[in-house]
Amino acid sequence: MLLAKNLTKSYKELTALSDVNLSIEKGELYGMLGPNGAGKTTTISILSSLLKPDNGEIFYEGKNLYQNLAECKKLIGVVPQEIALYDDLSATENLKFWGTLYGIKGKNLQKKSDELLEFLGLADRKNHKIKTYSGGMKRRINIAAALLHDPKIVFMDEPTVGIDPQSRNLIFEVIEELHSRGLTMIYTTHYMEEAERLCDRIGIIDEGKIIAEGSLDELKTNSSIKEEIHLKYSNPNKNKLDQLTDRYKGQLLLNEDHLILSSSQANAELPELIQLCSKSELLLDKVDIRSLSLESIFLELTGKSLRD
Amino acid sequence: MFTIALKDIKQYFKDKTAVFLSLLLPIALITIFALMYGGIGKSEKSKAINLLFTDEDKTELSNEVFTTLDAEEGLKLEAKSFAEAESLIKKGKRTAVLVLYKGFQDSVEAGNKIPMELFYDEAKEIEMGLLQQALWSNLFGITMQKGIKGKVNTWIKEKNPDLSNSEIEDIQSQVAEQFDGFSNSNEQSEIEENSELPMTALVGEKKDGNLGLVQAIAGIAIMMLLFSVSASGASLLKEKEDGTFRRLLIAPVRPSGILYGKMLSTLFMAVLQLTVMFLYSWLVLGLDIFINLPALILMILCAAIACSSFGIFMASICKSRKQVESLSTLIILVISAIGGSMMPLFFMPAIMKKLAVVSVNYWAMEGFFDIFWRQLPLIDILPKMLILLGIGAVLTIISVISFKRNLLKMV
Repeated sequence: MLLAKNLTKSYKELTALSDVNLSIEKGELYGMLGPNGAGKTTTISILSSLLKPDNGEIFYEGKNLYQNLAECKKLIGVVPQEIALYDDLSATENLKFWGTLYGIKGKNLQKKSDELLEFLGLADRKNHKIKTYSGGMKRRINIAAALLHDPKIVFMDEPTVGIDPQSRNLIFEVIEELHSRGLTMIYTTHYMEEAERLCDRIGIIDEGKIIAEGSLDELKTNSSIKEEIHLKYSNPNKNKLDQLTDRYKGQLLLNEDHLILSSSQANAELPELIQLCSKSELLLDKVDIRSLSLESIFLELTGKSLRD
Repeated sequence: MFTIALKDIKQYFKDKTAVFLSLLLPIALITIFALMYGGIGKSEKSKAINLLFTDEDKTELSNEVFTTLDAEEGLKLEAKSFAEAESLIKKGKRTAVLVLYKGFQDSVEAGNKIPMELFYDEAKEIEMGLLQQALWSNLFGITMQKGIKGKVNTWIKEKNPDLSNSEIEDIQSQVAEQFDGFSNSNEQSEIEENSELPMTALVGEKKDGNLGLVQAIAGIAIMMLLFSVSASGASLLKEKEDGTFRRLLIAPVRPSGILYGKMLSTLFMAVLQLTVMFLYSWLVLGLDIFINLPALILMILCAAIACSSFGIFMASICKSRKQVESLSTLIILVISAIGGSMMPLFFMPAIMKKLAVVSVNYWAMEGFFDIFWRQLPLIDILPKMLILLGIGAVLTIISVISFKRNLLKMV
């Protein structure tokens, strides 16, 4: 469906993308996981023709994007990170406007618009202005505007940013339904839970490079880390955590009330960890050994947290 | 308290453009208004009023009148035929023409009624006031003096037919020394009567005094239109800030199509605004908009094109809506001031009148004056319409180039 070869993009001295290659199959839901500023939005901007790469080629269904721009644009739908809608127009008016730009007209446009609003659970608010919508509703109508012209591939750039868990779940359900209908999607996020739940394949991106790629199982198999030790504590004294961070450099994620240690042999490492916690004056509440998550894989690959 | 103040000051200086504009705006306005009120450059010559002069008598005396008036600091004379002068006044380019008819010198010397006339544009009331002041003192100085001399000459010859010319001149000199003695005499009154300058309005004589109305409507309409179109043009930057601009660029639409779409909507709103303003002026203020309806429609269209191009131009050269707001306020106030929207141009010094031609307001207002005040035929208004279209074309070209250079790179 989509083939991108050696995409490179720089802004003056900053390299935003470096030699990125992508091959997305029809019907695949590909997740692009990386922290803020990793190059996810730049990749989507280039793939959707908004930005021109300094180097590289992009093909949709075998057609070169820049040689068949108008044709390829109709194959693409983009759900931008921001709510790119007209606040003072209703949902129907917004959808009709965006649909018209893609050449959909008359009754067909009305039908498509109604179907989508029904699908996204917004039919009863279709004539209300967007500015009266909740954050979650705005996110859904933002998705609708990208689907109106029946694109073959949809780019979703962090479509759940800034919404409550319930609205996020609703959006996940919409994405899963679209996936089950065979729509090809590229989904960017910095939430590992989203990538784990939704994506067939995940590309881990950092500093403009895709540093690992594969299904969740493949990523786990290829990682030298096998497990995670989750340790819940209270009364942390930040000044006394140096021993821990020095000993487990690049392996340890420290949070307010818990830490996660990526480990290849959790049972063997646990006693030493507990001893160090004691020296660091951490009062331990709970210890857990869990299977490997994307967060630990990212930490292993980059030495930093996804939320850094 | 000081922390908050310091933070606010820091924030203020962070936006360099806003700082620049906040300082530039008052400076620019002070300069413009100082120029308008004539506070800069005290040269009287710059304030001289142009007076056309038609000499049909072509005698020594008529030539002396020309030379004397031209030497007056408040006047600047231009010799023209009456037809040329009439055309210039009717087109609003000059204020008045002084015509000295054939027999001017003879009549002055014979002490008869002097064949001369002043034709003027009633719209230029203020200039006419100043003109009359300068004209009266100089013109009547000559005609009165010559008239008295003529009268005395005739009287001496009637009473003493045997006197030689040198004897007559000698007597005249003595009479001139006693000139004050004539001030209350019948002779003096008769000379004054003969020296009366008939005045005829070439423009505005049949109109119902709607000059102020035309000034108010055209001036305010164009100035307010410029503010509206700037806001409308700024919607292009709102699209960028809201993210809809990126979405538009992703859609199968040419980038230039986005710009032209914005221009079209701005133009529509500009035409609508002007139309509503003139309809209101007709219905409520009594402006006869049917006086030359085709010209009015075309003029509205041309003014709307020029003004809407200005709106898009502002959006294309600025990087944020804040910049559009500040910069367009500055530019609109300046061009409205120099273009005559705030104050009729005839109040202003010569330099301001010259500067006015760079303003959209000036050409639009002149066009509306041509229609409603001067009542010129369409053919005579066309050049102003073409200039407005030219302004529109230039601003559009710059907008297209800036749009490609700035906005498309900012996505």
